[in-house]
Amino acid sequence: MIKKEMIAMLLAGGQGSRLGVLTSKVAKPAVAFGGKYRIIDFPLSNCINSGIDTVGVLTQYQPLRLNSHIGIGIPWDLDRNVGGVTVLPPYEKVGKTEWYTGTANAIYQNLTYMESFHPDYVLILSGDHIYKMDYEVMLDYHKAHNADVSIAVMPVPPEEASRFGVVVTDGNGRILEFQEKPDQPKSNLASMGIYIFTWKALKEALLALSEQSGCDFGKHVIPYCHEKGETLVAYEFNGYWKDVGTLGSYWEANMELIDIIPEFNLYEEFWKIYTKNDILPPQFASSDSVIERCLVGDGSEIYGKVYNTIIGCGVVIEEGAVVRDSIIMQNTVIRAGSEINKAIIAENVTVGEHVRMGVGEEVPNREKPSVYSFGLAVVGEDSVIPAGVTIGKNTAISGVTVPEDYPGGRLGSGETLNRPERSGEAGGAL
Amino acid sequence: MRAVGMILAGGNNYRMKELSNRRAIAAMPIAGSFRAVDFALSSMSNSGIQKVAVLTQFNSRSLDQHLNSSKWWDFGRKQGGLFIFPPMLTTDNSYWYRGTADAIHQNLDFLRQCHEPYVVIASGDGIYKLDYGKVLEYHIAKKADITVICKEFPAEEDVTRFGLVQMDEDNRIIQFEEKPMAAVSHTVSCGIYVIRRRLLIELIEQAVYEGRHDFVRDVLIRYKDVKRIYGYVMESYWSNIASVDSYYRTNMDFLKKEVRDFFFREHPDVYSKVDDNPPAKYNPGSNVRNSLVANGCIINGTVENSVIFKKVFVGNNCVIKNSIVLNDVYLGDNTYLENCIVESRGTIRADSRIVGEDGVKIVIESDDRYTMTGI
Repeated sequence: MIKKEMIAMLLAGGQGSRLGVLTSKVAKPAVAFGGKYRIIDFPLSNCINSGIDTVGVLTQYQPLRLNSHIGIGIPWDLDRNVGGVTVLPPYEKVGKTEWYTGTANAIYQNLTYMESFHPDYVLILSGDHIYKMDYEVMLDYHKAHNADVSIAVMPVPPEEASRFGVVVTDGNGRILEFQEKPDQPKSNLASMGIYIFTWKALKEALLALSEQSGCDFGKHVIPYCHEKGETLVAYEFNGYWKDVGTLGSYWEANMELIDIIPEFNLYEEFWKIYTKNDILPPQFASSDSVIERCLVGDGSEIYGKVYNTIIGCGVVIEEGAVVRDSIIMQNTVIRAGSEINKAIIAENVTVGEHVRMGVGEEVPNREKPSVYSFGLAVVGEDSVIPAGVTIGKNTAISGVTVPEDYPGGRLGSGETLNRPERSGEAGGAL
Repeated sequence: MRAVGMILAGGNNYRMKELSNRRAIAAMPIAGSFRAVDFALSSMSNSGIQKVAVLTQFNSRSLDQHLNSSKWWDFGRKQGGLFIFPPMLTTDNSYWYRGTADAIHQNLDFLRQCHEPYVVIASGDGIYKLDYGKVLEYHIAKKADITVICKEFPAEEDVTRFGLVQMDEDNRIIQFEEKPMAAVSHTVSCGIYVIRRRLLIELIEQAVYEGRHDFVRDVLIRYKDVKRIYGYVMESYWSNIASVDSYYRTNMDFLKKEVRDFFFREHPDVYSKVDDNPPAKYNPGSNVRNSLVANGCIINGTVENSVIFKKVFVGNNCVIKNSIVLNDVYLGDNTYLENCIVESRGTIRADSRIVGEDGVKIVIESDDRYTMTGI
């Protein structure tokens, strides 16, 4: 009989719309992070480092990149005869067929998958946080408290608590009250979206709530379990944990990796972060290059000057280009003489010669002021920026743009430029 | 692909000096993040060869560790696979591999059990990319018994450490000399051969029966007038790393754009075992010029015209010039290195000054980082 003590279900179907054009073509968990990683590498590596070898990854929004990244799980040693990693998209069935309408609904639709492993416990994870955590320690805590549900929580500043689900405990870890994104938080312990359920409790709750539309863990399942009188405990986590849900926090979390001894240290041997390494050659720095305070991925070639920047794999920075305070993702080319300031440039982008990006004064973005702020210039995947244009702050660009898209050779601060894909272009041809 | 691969990776030579004290030549790190044998393996994999045997002997553990999984070269399959064959004691054999022909002879069972009609034999110390499919077509078109891959060297180069061939106008090899005192030609044998499997078995059995154990001397040279042995001249990059100078030069070749583009940007790729190192980190004070830096490195100082392998730590105010620093080396603050090859896992103490005055200096330091002091 197949038997796993604990399996993990990793929710990776969300779009992450607050990342703007970065997630126009990929799900948030597949967005690049820290030079060579993708966000989903962190929970997946935590799983294998915690001894969990069975992981279901639930995908829905733009799954192609996730599918090819995960493959059969080789980078995380999750290619197993029994268990391993399984990608679980929504599927058609007899009776009601639907998309994953909420986090708990997605798990509900995969009851059969979970049941096939006869688990005692199920770990629910989301694919959009940067952290290192030993889930085995959390499981020990769960067992010691004889809990039905354990929620990982961490203390946050009181003013931020209303962004999260908040728990009130009795001082011994037992949860007395649970508030989902409350206006008046009664505590500063925020739920990290990481749950361990005893299998019986989870199955029972999911079946009971099967008709609930948009069934969500924070909104429905946890309150249901709480009302039923099950034992809910809070597992307090005090390490580094970063929600990279906004462009500002995403940029910041990347920049923190550059510190001499970063709080989140990728160089620790005992808790490695694994990722799919596809390019193997080392990086090349030319005779005229300057690289200072940077992380640089494999296979990149630097001929220009880069300061305080995260550079992915296979990037080319040509002669005379100057890049500062930016994130350049894999296979992007920055042509000669360009000047890039505080920008996030996604994968496979070509920035033409002598482009000036991130200049001028800060003006709030006209279309989505809450998304494109922090003074960042953001460029989506596969975009092309023609030579010689000037691009302001709080801007967003996606698609293959031509000089005519830039009146007077410039895109002012606060503007958004979105070229829908035309047929015959990369990705658009059918 | 109608061939099976065999990589002869058991040898050692004095020209590698201390560099091969701890590892097989085929396991020598190359170009920042590869090992020499990766190039032979990748060429075979990219040519569609599914079954490869690597014959190891000298310092084989280094190679075994690198080849601990066959998946990186796409040999992790039901059909075929990657086989590591060190010498084996049996009731009929108590010898080490006495030579290349003997090494093949001790593994004749492997060849007998294959169904592929051809065998590609390669060495583990060549740095190249080669489509064996094309070589096999050539081999068949020439109706050759054996095809030897060759490379023309410039006339000024000293080639006396290689096997040298002379060919007629049809490229049939008429003269073959192994490591001659004086070069008769500048066409070098790359140590890569294509031969029909049944013929190979026959020739090897005959050679060993006669007490002859070397493939070049006792098969190629001995049979050159009897069998149709042809040369296939390789136009693209080929380099042999089996001497300290050529090892140093080969690594430095990767600082040239055309060499990097040929290996890393042109199809097909070269594969290697993947390490899970973070990206390289450049701290304030780093100054890297015309150099290759592999993943996992942390750079605080100056690096010029050098190749820095994986997980190297370069301390503050260090100056590294024209050097090769192998994997997992720690360079303490204010170190000055010039013209050196630093052996892997060495710890160079702060304020060291090491210069290769006449030629490249091999630096071997103990790994002091994990040593307890005061005990």
